Amino acid sequence: MSTTTIREIREIIREEPVMHPRILEALRSGPLTVPEIAEAIGSPTDEVLFWVMGMRRYGKIREVKDPTDDGYFRYEATNWAVPA
Amino acid sequence: MDYDVLVVGSGIGGMESALKLGDMGYKVLVVEKEASVGGRMILLSKVFPTLDCASCISTPKMAATIHHPNLTVMTYSEVKGIRRDADGHFRASVKRKARYVDEVACTGCQQCETACTVAVPDQFNADLVARRAAYIAFPQAVPKKAVIDRQGSSPCTFACPAGIEAHGYVSLIRSGEYEKAHRLVLDATPLVGSLGRACYAPCESDCTRGSLEGTLPIRRLKRFISDRHVESGEDLGIEVAEPNGRRVAVVGSGPAGLTAAWQLARKGYTVKIYEAAPEPGGFLRLAIPSYRLPVEVVERDIQNVRDLGVEIATSSPVRDLAALKSEGYDAVLVATGTPRSTGLGVPGEDRMGVLAATDFLRRIKLGETVDLAGKRVVVVGGGNVAMDASRVARRMGAASVTVAYRRSRAEMPAHHVEADDAEKEGVQFAFQVAPVEVTGDAAGAVNGLRCVRMALGEPDASGRRSPTPISGSEHVIGCDVIIAAIGMTPDTAAFASQIGVERRGTLRADPKTLQTDVPYVFAAGDVVNGATDITRAVGEGRRAAHMIDRWLTGGILDGFDLRLPVVDKQQVLARQKVYTLRPATPEAVTLEAAPRDFREVEAPLSETEARAAAGRCMDCAVCSGCHECVSACPVDGCIDLQARDTELDVEVGAVVVSTGYKLFAADLKPQYGFGQYRNVITGMQMDRLLAPTRPFNTILRPSDGKVPERIAYILCTGSRDETVNNPLCSKFCCMYSIKQNQLIMGALPLAEVTVHYMDIRAAGKRYDEFYEQSKSMGATYVKGRVAKITEKENGDLILRYEDIENGGQLVDAEYDLVVLAVGVQPNRDAAMLFPEEQLAEDKYFYVAEPDEDLNPGVTSIPGVFVAGTAAGAKDIVDSILHAGAAAAQVAAHLERTQANVKVPA
Repeated sequence: MSTTTIREIREIIREEPVMHPRILEALRSGPLTVPEIAEAIGSPTDEVLFWVMGMRRYGKIREVKDPTDDGYFRYEATNWAVPA
Repeated sequence: MDYDVLVVGSGIGGMESALKLGDMGYKVLVVEKEASVGGRMILLSKVFPTLDCASCISTPKMAATIHHPNLTVMTYSEVKGIRRDADGHFRASVKRKARYVDEVACTGCQQCETACTVAVPDQFNADLVARRAAYIAFPQAVPKKAVIDRQGSSPCTFACPAGIEAHGYVSLIRSGEYEKAHRLVLDATPLVGSLGRACYAPCESDCTRGSLEGTLPIRRLKRFISDRHVESGEDLGIEVAEPNGRRVAVVGSGPAGLTAAWQLARKGYTVKIYEAAPEPGGFLRLAIPSYRLPVEVVERDIQNVRDLGVEIATSSPVRDLAALKSEGYDAVLVATGTPRSTGLGVPGEDRMGVLAATDFLRRIKLGETVDLAGKRVVVVGGGNVAMDASRVARRMGAASVTVAYRRSRAEMPAHHVEADDAEKEGVQFAFQVAPVEVTGDAAGAVNGLRCVRMALGEPDASGRRSPTPISGSEHVIGCDVIIAAIGMTPDTAAFASQIGVERRGTLRADPKTLQTDVPYVFAAGDVVNGATDITRAVGEGRRAAHMIDRWLTGGILDGFDLRLPVVDKQQVLARQKVYTLRPATPEAVTLEAAPRDFREVEAPLSETEARAAAGRCMDCAVCSGCHECVSACPVDGCIDLQARDTELDVEVGAVVVSTGYKLFAADLKPQYGFGQYRNVITGMQMDRLLAPTRPFNTILRPSDGKVPERIAYILCTGSRDETVNNPLCSKFCCMYSIKQNQLIMGALPLAEVTVHYMDIRAAGKRYDEFYEQSKSMGATYVKGRVAKITEKENGDLILRYEDIENGGQLVDAEYDLVVLAVGVQPNRDAAMLFPEEQLAEDKYFYVAEPDEDLNPGVTSIPGVFVAGTAAGAKDIVDSILHAGAAAAQVAAHLERTQANVKVPA
């Protein structure tokens, strides 16, 4: 059984703006899955999902069409998020 | 009568009743507390058993509701109370919550939402994703108009006497928008760098985070954006109006004068500052020591003012205000501060070696030499100026520095940090002593300060204990230099014959308008209030500019302080049950026991520290006041952050209560782990994941974003369950679960869906066929209660259940995702609508229908009717039927009671 204590959603979501540059930096090398982004920025996967989906909602990242064999979608930065 | 009928709530039941009544010709007022009509149905994926798209069949009704000629709809509004008159009519009080967005002008473009810097859980997506403080409820919202979730003033912002949007610039820093944060502070004052170093940060004293691991370093964040701006070399980037041809003279260039000049120049005035000293800046430039506030920082801030075209004439004292008027100035602002030190008032104070603190500090700041090397210095006073003087004396090489103060340390007016830092730099303190004489040698030089010890009595008018001399306690503190820092006074003698001057030398001005006896002369800051601090002076400067502009443009002198009420910190803290404490930002002040230079003692925040610190902000008021929405909105004037709630009273002939239901709070079944295990979600959350406007790109499990392959449902979560005091069946959980099973199998063809149930209730037209269809598609149905759920390290979930149909053995089964088919509960808000008489509830706390078999929709109050799930669990079909019945009851009531008033078309 996991002993990890999950944080309150409001607290995680509140931090989303702080996480934008870290996530975009992680995506510089190419599309990543949520667990891969989590590893890159050193945050729990459940929290990263909130941030990734928040960024996706507001057009900063988007999913790559098909999931991996493990069942994870990969996400990439949009041109809007990373100006040329 | 204003309306024939008031309908409270605009879910499917409310809309149906309202539309039917409107079609009959009755005038109907619909009040909806959310920003859109539609209730829960619009948030669903599809409806059972037809699998029609919920949006497709909801939106026409929503649009019809809004556009019906006989319906008036007030969204984002609340009915505060309904009272029945003797004539059977009702009077309802309706609060229209401020949207902060002009509902007519808003185009629904979402630019404000995209620009917003505050992220909060999206209640319309069952908290699965963030929305912004500025938001449109959901893509199909009707009306599709933005609202701004602005719950008051954040404590930090409210506490700032300068009127700086502290929460706003913190949220911009959190988003990495440093220049915008800088501009937001510039909107209040040009003194960003100075305040970032020398203000005493009342914002931090009120920061809600102070109740947790510690306040945000709000002042240092301001310094951070100031430093970043200087490094960037960018222009100020603020808006300045075209010259308006009017001229204003500002007398004094301290924080009040500079801020007023800045604000007036931005409004298009030609402004000239007259400063008596050889350098502008007042106390910022001529008193506050450089180790706290470097001269170059002040000069940069002053350059901001000059960059707007403000002329500053130094060494130019003003004695004749009328002469300025004669020179063509339309208005004059006097903001000359309190440049003079109060004398000691004891014999010998004219001896050589007695200095006034303000003169002493000023000489040092102007680069003059004051020889204190090896000397014993006594500073008399307990305020911030005394602390500055003592610490400067240490830096000038004094052998010893003693602060003599007549009360105790607890009563010192100096900021406690200043006193602590002075002590760390070797300053000594002599408390409860008062000077009675300056002693000296034959040459007239100081050689000591005779003092008397003081006893502290009862608190005086200032709240501090009042000191009284102890007879026989006189003693001499040997010293070579005495610095008097017991108070500061204005220098207003020259104005006494022109405008009102109070006994203590302060100028008389209206505290709100800042206008003096002479209409064209305004006065602001310490010259009016006596010595205060920088932020108050800045706030006064802003107020003065506002009032002068009003006066010169013929307006009423009001409207300056438009702050919303401050939010309750306890309510802010109550938004979360648990907080994760973050490392507080460490102090970065380096102090030496014997300082010898004026290098700045406080280090700046790094960018990483600044972002992390800003990231701790709790968004107390939700909207931060960063004004990004205002900048982004393509329609000028559409967003008004100063809007206010309004209330109106309406008279109606009948009331329909259609306040819907509440969903069972799944965390009340702790054995299922909702709120502890991310992959345990509710049926409503799954409906959102299946909806076309879903929060994720597809169905993903919340722990890690994996597409789930093994999905379980637990039916009757919180319904038919005496352990949570809800014995009722919720009627539609079985069917929505079956619906979701089919949709999941369509969306994820490889997924296995298992439903753990007690019994399936599919009593409705084509419901059982729908159930059988689900089984034929591959869903597995397992009869038996689930005892508990445990979580594996990888987020997978183990369900332990009794398999009744296979011998009743206990089975453990593993899943990727578990959906709790939560039941419904009564929304007891309905009963609160009627403060003066009881709207009866049934034994389960739904709105009672005393004669429900024969008179559905009729409540215990004549003229009040109930529609839909407010009266009990119903699916959509039954809700619509019930709402129609309620509408018929209303019509019958109106015809019976008001036939002489209203004839249906």
